[in-house]
Amino acid sequence: MMDFLAALESSEFASWLRESGSIWAYPAVLTLHTLGLGVLVGASAVIDLRLLGAAPHMPIEPLRRLFPIMWAGFWINAVSGALLFVTDATTKGTTTVFMAKLGIIVLAVIVVATIKRSAFGHTPVSSNPPMSVKALAAASLALWLAAIITGRYMAYV
Amino acid sequence: MHAMLDAMATWLRATQVSEAIRDLPWLWPACEIAHFVGLSLLVGVIGFFDLRLLGAFRRVPLHAAWSLVPWGKLGFAISAATGVTFFVGAPDQYVNNVAFYAKLAFLLIAGVNAAAFEIFYGGTVKTSVATDATPTAFRAIAIVSIVSWFFVIYWGRMLPFVGNAF
Repeated sequence: MMDFLAALESSEFASWLRESGSIWAYPAVLTLHTLGLGVLVGASAVIDLRLLGAAPHMPIEPLRRLFPIMWAGFWINAVSGALLFVTDATTKGTTTVFMAKLGIIVLAVIVVATIKRSAFGHTPVSSNPPMSVKALAAASLALWLAAIITGRYMAYV
Repeated sequence: MHAMLDAMATWLRATQVSEAIRDLPWLWPACEIAHFVGLSLLVGVIGFFDLRLLGAFRRVPLHAAWSLVPWGKLGFAISAATGVTFFVGAPDQYVNNVAFYAKLAFLLIAGVNAAAFEIFYGGTVKTSVATDATPTAFRAIAIVSIVSWFFVIYWGRMLPFVGNAF
């Protein structure tokens, strides 16, 4: 495993990303990762806030079109995150915080998918969703916060 | 100009509040986390409203989309307050950094754009039950908003890579 991480990190591509000094390398990938974060967590937060009772006059059903936007943000970050990972694979790949971050994101995606099924399924949810849906929305917000906390922590390992 | 900015940065850095920000080891990372939480709220809520102005989510009445905007303003307030904390704590990292001034310039554009929307159209939007497309002026404001916030993020991310690094 360690050999594989070391090989990743010392690959020509990872070295270019890390050391070229080009603003199209590391800084551009980091910008994409920040943008994807804003799009994914921001769109998710709009749905969560509405489900929790913010903007009560806003119909919930049309918000289903935020899900494709969230997936776009998710894939931008999966790809840019993988690129950031290879530049520092031996450190990131052996850090508990990084594993925790990945676990939190898996949980968050499961919660978001469950929100989609339960609040945007065949029977539209009422303007004041049931407690179970609100709990999912609160869990989504908490998990994204945890993802940001562990993500920021990665800059210090 | 440079000498004056450096003198100001040196003065600010020597103040007690600046020292206090640097002395608390958890404060800077905590502010970074809050800065990104604010960014997410702002991008999500304001981005959603901009898309509505551009004609997406037409089944959401404009006044209803507008009623979520205070959450976007809260996100901005969180990022602004933590941003000021960074500046006060380490002004020397910013005053000679071209990315910092580029970020401020786009923040100014985004702010004037948002204020203009609220001043000229806030009243209309609050009472608008329309669910159809929006006028060209709204669309123009939405595009300026999306582009300027994108560059605020871009230049913010560039801060450690141009000028004196962190």
